[in-house]
Amino acid sequence: MANTQAMCTSFKQELLTGHHAFGTTVTRGATTADSFKAALYLATATYNASTTAYSTTGEVSGTNYTAGGVTISAWNAPTTSGTTAFTTPTASFAWTNVTLATAFDAVLVYNSTQANRAVSVHTFGSQTVTAGNFTLTMPTNDATNALIRIA
Amino acid sequence: MNDTPLIYTSKGNLPIDSLRYETFWDIGATYYKLVERYYVGDEVVRESAHVYSLQGLGATGEQGSII
Repeated sequence: MANTQAMCTSFKQELLTGHHAFGTTVTRGATTADSFKAALYLATATYNASTTAYSTTGEVSGTNYTAGGVTISAWNAPTTSGTTAFTTPTASFAWTNVTLATAFDAVLVYNSTQANRAVSVHTFGSQTVTAGNFTLTMPTNDATNALIRIA
Repeated sequence: MNDTPLIYTSKGNLPIDSLRYETFWDIGATYYKLVERYYVGDEVVRESAHVYSLQGLGATGEQGSII
């Protein structure tokens, strides 16, 4: 047998379940899962890896769109396959009977329980919606395609 | 009684048979998008879009060495 240098796979999963608190203080004491939301942003906005939190700057607006976006109902329990930990929302994001006349192309997933901290930005090609529906269907929840993966 | 099927548009509820319906596909590297449009003449009165995300985002964990 030999030792192999690696980041432990269980650690990656435990990041997704809030088990580890590095630093000198613990910033959270909750024992229940956080609530997450998904907000849409204009194609002219600037949301990327450096985004730290939800903001109304650049967010879409229009009939039947509520600022802050939609609540993500649930996530698949974080799990691992091989050396990858992953999770995906269990349902599509949907906005119904909306009118979003200015082109948008991104959705921000953020933690509305933890000061609206940003999770991820996903882009999908510029789009407008007129008195219609906009849906984002989630990818397959596996180690290759899941919405959030830590390899 | 014969009901006329209506659909909600920017001009209110209109008979669906009076509208021209078209679909478009946008194939991206990480998504497929279906766009549906209803027209009155050349005017789009209802547009919906449905995105199927093929793949989410991955982050790679790295560990350093103790020298």
